[in-house]
Amino acid sequence: MKRNDGFEAKELPAVVQETLPDVYVDDLLVSIKYFIDEEQPHLWIKDHALCARCHHKPCLDFCPVGVYTLAHDGKIQVAYQACVECGSCRVGCPYSNIGWQLPRGGYGVAYKFG
Amino acid sequence: MNTRDERISFDVIVVGAGLAGPAAAMVAARAGLNVALIERGQKPGGKNYFGGAIYTHAIEELIPDFMNRRPPFERPVTEAGFWFLSEDGLTRMTVQGGKLANQPADAYTTLRASFDLWWTEQAQKEGVFLIPKTTVVDFIREADGQVIGVKTDRPQGDIYAPVVIICEGVNNLLTQKLGLIEHDLEPAHLALGVKQVISLPPETINARFGLPDNDHGLAVSVLGDVSLGLPGMGFVYTNSKTLSVGLGVMLSTLAEYKLKPYEVLQRYLQHPVIAPLVAGGQLLEYGGHLIPEGGYRDMPKLYTGGALVAGDAAAMVNALHWEGTNMAIIAGKLAGETAIEAHGRGDFSSKVMVGYEERLKESFILPDLKQYRGFSHFLDTHPEFMGTYPAFLNDALGDFFSAYGRPKMQLFKGMLGSLTGRRSLPRAAGDIISMGRAVLGW
Repeated sequence: MKRNDGFEAKELPAVVQETLPDVYVDDLLVSIKYFIDEEQPHLWIKDHALCARCHHKPCLDFCPVGVYTLAHDGKIQVAYQACVECGSCRVGCPYSNIGWQLPRGGYGVAYKFG
Repeated sequence: MNTRDERISFDVIVVGAGLAGPAAAMVAARAGLNVALIERGQKPGGKNYFGGAIYTHAIEELIPDFMNRRPPFERPVTEAGFWFLSEDGLTRMTVQGGKLANQPADAYTTLRASFDLWWTEQAQKEGVFLIPKTTVVDFIREADGQVIGVKTDRPQGDIYAPVVIICEGVNNLLTQKLGLIEHDLEPAHLALGVKQVISLPPETINARFGLPDNDHGLAVSVLGDVSLGLPGMGFVYTNSKTLSVGLGVMLSTLAEYKLKPYEVLQRYLQHPVIAPLVAGGQLLEYGGHLIPEGGYRDMPKLYTGGALVAGDAAAMVNALHWEGTNMAIIAGKLAGETAIEAHGRGDFSSKVMVGYEERLKESFILPDLKQYRGFSHFLDTHPEFMGTYPAFLNDALGDFFSAYGRPKMQLFKGMLGSLTGRRSLPRAAGDIISMGRAVLGW
């Protein structure tokens, strides 16, 4: 069955779902080096009203660094500073509602190991 | 408006100092062309994240004496293969010795921040001019569409060249701008790879992975419980003083099941058989990257007047064989050769640029990508290979090598039952045939 965001509605068996550990993503982010562009965010929500109609909000899950979180007012907040520029949200947002640019030259993630 | 004389211009512009880019730049510069290599990161390698291993056949085609130039390899891959993970067990199928003992090795485990820097330095030695910290945002084109340069995010940042080689990576914004591909790659054709680089003393790595010394290394694909039985694959690479442990799951799968990739990775690291391998290790770096696993079916048009596309931007990935880095390097080389030909003929139109595609057809790249064009779809539609079969294999081997004091016939019936209880025999046979077809491209 299709969800209202266009993805199939699928569920893992509860016994498998229970085996997923809770991870505090900030514990992972501290290992990543960034040159943060404080002036110019390279990610943004184009239209918050569209997000409000998206029931499942897959960006909250698939982003590997948890850039997208839900604020108290129900709006999606974008912590672009943590972005590793993978592009998952650019192609994965079912409404193409995420503005996505490459950071300005020199800014953004700077992997030390890769 | 600049006059022609005031323009910053080169013979060739290469966008992106990953694997394809420096290869293209190196080849073109060696032929005497004036080449600019534009990289958006602080330095080459900073944006790149992979498994992974680098294949020497590709390096050698560009630099026959590469070993004398001290490439920053981690360890030679002396053992490679598959690990099949069940909920609580592991069956290993790896090969060592034979071809895996070649010197120099056919593959080396590698970390991209150091490797891409070295790779770009080899291009710079040929005279390539590296322009770092610069993002290319668009092209400069003639009225007829012919590409004659790029626009960067620097003030007065236009740079001209009659050939632009696009090695921008999986986020194919420039390739789309040229209309070489009409749309973004689909979430069902993109694997999101996440990885942890975990620090451990070399002797601990050797002991845990059964490696005789620091000049031996392991590279394995991990199937089964690693991706919760969903379409995806894990990996382990032993580096000199670190492990690269990660997994890739289709972006669409993460969205459909509402999975957080770092939780799936943490679950893998906590698996009863994997946890002791990484125990006591310190997290040095976490990261993620998309892999264009659609391959042939997601390829853009590879050329237009004044421009060529190579590497991930052209979806040059063979997911089953972990190939991609080598394709990027060879495609870069072939793009560089095409740029040389164009300069030789003074013709930068599609008529000469099409030679790039011809070269790719004569190499292994297009034939392989064409042959494996159905593989991504196969994995997507046959999750049994990530769930049922790895679990069955572990159960069956576990039974085979255990003495229960029961007649063996009973044991074999039980083993058969543990398969047919999961998947009927005709279906299992069908799965094997489908896999064969996906691999052979029939």
